[in-house]
Amino acid sequence: MDFDDDIPTLIEHEDKQLMPDSASTGRVPCTIISGFLGAGKSTLLRRILTEHHGYRIAVIMNEFGDTSSIEAKTINISSEDDPTAEKSQELLELANGCLCCSIKDAGVAAIEKLMQRKGAFDHILLETTGLADPGPIASMFWLNEEYATGLGRQISLDGVICVVDAVFGQQQMEEDHSVDGVGESLRQIACSDVILLNKVDLTSEEQLRSIEELIQRVNPSAPIHRTIRGQIDLAHIMNINAYAGGAKGLQSAQHQRGNNDNHDHAGHTVSSKHYELRGISSLQVTLPTLTRHRLQELDEWIRTVLWENRIPDNYHQIGLSELKVLRCKGLFVMESGEQYVLQGVQSMYDLSLVEGDVTGIPDSGKLVLIGKGLDDSVRQSLNKLLV
Amino acid sequence: MSSATVLCQSSNCPHGNPPSRLECPTCNKLGIRGSFFCGQECFKGNWKTHKIIHDLVRSPATAANPSQDGTYHPFANFDFTGTLRPVYPLSPKREVPEHIPRPDYATHEDGVPTTELKRAGQPPRLLNSEEIEKMKFACRLGREVLDIAAAMVRPGVTTDEIDAVVHQATIDRNAYPSPLNYRNFPKSVCTSINEIICHGIPDRRKLQEGDIINLDISLYYDGFHADLNATYPVGEIDEDSKKLIQTTRECLDEAIKICKPGALFRDIGKVIEPIARANGCAVVRTYTGHGINDLFHTAPNIPHYAKNKAIGTMKPGMCFTIEPMINLGSHWDTHHWPDNWTASTVDGKRSAQFEETLLITETGVEVLTAGSTDL
Repeated sequence: MDFDDDIPTLIEHEDKQLMPDSASTGRVPCTIISGFLGAGKSTLLRRILTEHHGYRIAVIMNEFGDTSSIEAKTINISSEDDPTAEKSQELLELANGCLCCSIKDAGVAAIEKLMQRKGAFDHILLETTGLADPGPIASMFWLNEEYATGLGRQISLDGVICVVDAVFGQQQMEEDHSVDGVGESLRQIACSDVILLNKVDLTSEEQLRSIEELIQRVNPSAPIHRTIRGQIDLAHIMNINAYAGGAKGLQSAQHQRGNNDNHDHAGHTVSSKHYELRGISSLQVTLPTLTRHRLQELDEWIRTVLWENRIPDNYHQIGLSELKVLRCKGLFVMESGEQYVLQGVQSMYDLSLVEGDVTGIPDSGKLVLIGKGLDDSVRQSLNKLLV
Repeated sequence: MSSATVLCQSSNCPHGNPPSRLECPTCNKLGIRGSFFCGQECFKGNWKTHKIIHDLVRSPATAANPSQDGTYHPFANFDFTGTLRPVYPLSPKREVPEHIPRPDYATHEDGVPTTELKRAGQPPRLLNSEEIEKMKFACRLGREVLDIAAAMVRPGVTTDEIDAVVHQATIDRNAYPSPLNYRNFPKSVCTSINEIICHGIPDRRKLQEGDIINLDISLYYDGFHADLNATYPVGEIDEDSKKLIQTTRECLDEAIKICKPGALFRDIGKVIEPIARANGCAVVRTYTGHGINDLFHTAPNIPHYAKNKAIGTMKPGMCFTIEPMINLGSHWDTHHWPDNWTASTVDGKRSAQFEETLLITETGVEVLTAGSTDL
């Protein structure tokens, strides 16, 4: 029998996506949503999915980024037709093997593959588990920007949100389990770019002020928004560009004072502030304008602190108070008028020149460091460099 | 969708050849574009002449129906970006004699490098003088094996034959071929031809006049890994390929020149990318240089592209590789074959690579895998 003479049935043609140009620059922002157990992350996500926003949002749940034990992960994609994403659950196909000495994370690669198959998303929301430190996931997505592929649209790290329970948050911050000497909820606050203080209707104004002050001390650079059942203007948590270099990052770097609608923490500008709670400390320093030489010295100082976990003048600082920066941000103003934006998470950082018009910008820069062991010796070391 | 403009391809369409989105399924599988018919009737009417095109394009052999010499092409439906095709079956797994010590992944069922994963995130190791001597010895063996493999490169030789020789030369030296079973890689060397960027699996394809081939040798001796590779011409190659190979070697050599204590890993890509661009080439981004010592792949991570956030400063006693993969043209993306290893360029253009294992010394850098000719 001649197989060739069994005439097959015609099939519907599916358009294959054309190969994207490696240089194309579309952006799919990814927001990481962390939060204390029971603080209302799921409520927030449900709200975002059901709100009529018209975007295609992919929501990825739980335990992402643990590449050593990946089997299959699910992902929900909301669209205008199916906002709650009930019908669109997809399995991420995780390749094996081929990632030897490839820096690409298998999970990120799978999302990019999915976008190639299903069309690009407008935004990705990634929910971490209640106990997770968002730092490693954030750095993974941030690094991925350097070699992102996926329909020519690159997944980029937009920022980290932390949902804090207004009723129990303070207790959690003061008492929860500690990992490596740092309370686990504090790690989340330390690493966040925006804090949502949820369930504010269930507690007193006095208690709210108290917890806001606590949060602000641990992380002086993140704006705090009060919410009830996760109700928030999406503009506060999506497309915040917390990790962008250049002019976009400048906005987020300047956006650091809590100039949001609910309250205002600005006012007392101190040249250097320091605070410590359960292993987490923060340091905020106002910087003078810098010469090129000074900028190089400062870059070297940052390198030593972030990569070697010590201050430059101290080669033997081990044990006493371990130094480790979890998040840093900065705005450096040069004597020439140029501006540089510093972004960093864990050991990874980027210092980039702000391109374009920089008028209307204050003539002093600043540096915010959040992490472990940021004590007086660190502040002194920095001051010595700057005077 | 805007592409519904292909007309019915029938030579005697009763409907006047309207545009159609109904496609011949065989052509679709074979990657033949434009075989549209307005309906089953038109398709049927043209079948006798249409089907000839299938035979013209169809790969000659499949696993179920191998060719006379027993070889076949395993991924008939895959959208290859270039002209290179795998030639299966792969030869059986080669054995390493019992007495040769091996890394943890060699005996792991899934080839998982457990210790590498356990030590992920730790800063680069600084080797002491005893460890450095072992590292140097392993690297010398690696260079010997690469030179033996390179001497085989000529038209008609299969990459599996090269693998057999590499495997034998490695175990003759009481060393373990590091690629073998690393995350289940099936062979003892990576052979990457023409548009293959890296991690090509040795198979029964014969090298052809005009090919370029990268041989990536890694071995494990006395507790330390060596890793080096080079790209070679097969017979006479075209000008573009010559220039690509020269450019890639230059990228590596210039990058090595900046290495010394205190130099930053993030600056290596700043040396490489401008050279590649000036020569009309792109730098692959998803594969990087890596720390190497008692672990095959470890910290630091070394990107070969300019704008990067690589962490770390070079210090005496650190060992790492620099291994730029450079593509002709402007695309740095990779497209993986269904074997989950072979990484090809997305446009089918050629790619070359060179790699050395380096040691940072008190005063500068030593190329541990250096050959006598490239000093």
